[in-house]
Amino acid sequence: MSVETFVTDKAGLQKFYEAIMAGHETYAPVEKFGKYDFKRVVRLSECDPESPISRTQSIKPLFFPRSAKVMKYVATSAGTEVSEVDEDPLAVKRVILGAKHCDARALQVLDKVYNWDYIDTDYQKRRENTVIISTRCDKADTHCFCTSLDYDLENLDAMDVLVVNGLDGKIYIKSKTAKGAELLNTDVTRHASRVTEEVSEPVLKKQFEAFAGSFRLKMDYKEVNAKLSKIFDTPEFEDVSGSCVSCNTCAFVCPTCHCFKISDEKVKDTGVRYKSYDSCNNGYFTLMAGGHNPRPVKYRRWRQRAMHKFVYYKERFGENLCVGCGKCTISCPVNISIFEVVNQVAQ
Amino acid sequence: MNYTKQIQDIAARLFAEGKIDVFVGYRVNGFDDNQVPALITGPQEVSQLVFTEKSVFNLVNYLKSDHTRRKRVGLVVKGCDSRSLNLMLTENQVKRENLYVIGICCEGVTDDAGQKMQNCTECMVPDAVVSDELLGTPTATGMKPYERNVDIKALAEKPLTERAAYFEEVFENCIRCNACRHSCPLCYCAKCCIDQETATLYNGANTTSGAFHALMTWSLHLAGRCVDCRNCEKACPSHLPLHLLHKQNESVIYENFQEHLAGVIPEDRGAFYKYSLKDPDDFIM
Repeated sequence: MSVETFVTDKAGLQKFYEAIMAGHETYAPVEKFGKYDFKRVVRLSECDPESPISRTQSIKPLFFPRSAKVMKYVATSAGTEVSEVDEDPLAVKRVILGAKHCDARALQVLDKVYNWDYIDTDYQKRRENTVIISTRCDKADTHCFCTSLDYDLENLDAMDVLVVNGLDGKIYIKSKTAKGAELLNTDVTRHASRVTEEVSEPVLKKQFEAFAGSFRLKMDYKEVNAKLSKIFDTPEFEDVSGSCVSCNTCAFVCPTCHCFKISDEKVKDTGVRYKSYDSCNNGYFTLMAGGHNPRPVKYRRWRQRAMHKFVYYKERFGENLCVGCGKCTISCPVNISIFEVVNQVAQ
Repeated sequence: MNYTKQIQDIAARLFAEGKIDVFVGYRVNGFDDNQVPALITGPQEVSQLVFTEKSVFNLVNYLKSDHTRRKRVGLVVKGCDSRSLNLMLTENQVKRENLYVIGICCEGVTDDAGQKMQNCTECMVPDAVVSDELLGTPTATGMKPYERNVDIKALAEKPLTERAAYFEEVFENCIRCNACRHSCPLCYCAKCCIDQETATLYNGANTTSGAFHALMTWSLHLAGRCVDCRNCEKACPSHLPLHLLHKQNESVIYENFQEHLAGVIPEDRGAFYKYSLKDPDDFIM
């Protein structure tokens, strides 16, 4: 695979985005009520690819929607007829602008579970048909700790095209995958000029160093992994979960949480079955038919969430289920910081 | 507004006298100036407690938590929080003898941007209405006259189609996490009607109609009970203006049901729980 690198300026980047929007189905962060969510856009003025990380939802819903139709059914006197749902609107060829690095990385983590014993074909189709353009942050936000986790942020290949605001005032656009190179080789880059890697790499490196130096939160994930795996039965979890109100916001905004529930929308004899987000913080999450609930109290549910992020997923798939984006901390109504808590428990 | 010292002293005294098992207050988050509710179980942790204008979250929510069940609880309440506590007491959710309540004469709390919150600028009951001990100086002037919320007034002036479009946008942006419900101190049902697996009255999916059903049902269950603490808005990850639903209900109830304000008078059952000959009946055909 050849790596394509282009250099341009602010106006050139705008034209690059506009050219993409003109030729492709595009999703980008759109502001509503002060919060950015990824939506279908046709004009650059509707969206902001440089949206602040603290107020932007993840790109996960574009691959694992908050609610997706699974099937339709009709009950007749002869029995129940099940039919396929309409075509998936997210499975068409599309481009995502303004994805954050942490969100893109989260998809790599999710790929593992979606390609595990059951292959989720809907998810696969959405992944294959999407080109992700991700802008590297210039500065870490208050609750970011992505550099402290188990992936190489600088050489991350989770996005197809990388956009970097160089410290020299120029903007560098680099392909990271074959899909990305293919996109950059079309005329969308007509307002940018090619550069060699010898020119671009030192600038990208410098920008990354400045970015990586702006992190306030640092932890040793190996230590956290090792210590958490040994303390399943400590009273610490009961203490730290005290402030949690089990509101589930953390799981709903998390770019890697992937639990879901099934619900039906019925009108007389016809119905649609939906697959929607759920959260392990819900009291009824592990409730079984017959009434037994293995996690009846809050601290056990809370422990499950922390352990799944930093222990269980790591044991099974070799990755942390946390990408360090800080979305849960920002959204938490009582300001619980996952970073603070896992560090506190691990000590 | 800073009652850190007083609250620490009271909490230490209560633990020393053996009057409480757990104290619910606020502590500083280690990362920014936001505060985290702290559930303190012993005198050694009392020094964590703080109380400033950043003490936003309504702690009455924790009375329905596993951590306080069947325990004697010390609790800090502001004006709005104390109104929700009053309702919890009236609705038999907590026992008064198990509580030691520190009331605050609140001067208003601030949001993330450091601005005084809208409900605080409009607040009619800043002083705690239920308390064992009151901190601060009670307002001398008495209750402010009732005025409709500014956002409600602005919305009411818009044409119906515009209002409908606005609320459609609200419901479209709801992600159905139910954080509003869980963070509400007065949503204490063991199982919400929206979560029933059998006899599903409500669609659990994240569709505009599902969000409409869930939010409207929720706001109607809180009609005449919402105390405007804005826990729900603070919890909403989509920053939805949920107060519009509650403030509209509040104004209708205040104007039609003998100036009823939720939780201000102890033992006062909600507007929908009592019958009065003065209740309006002109909407009945």
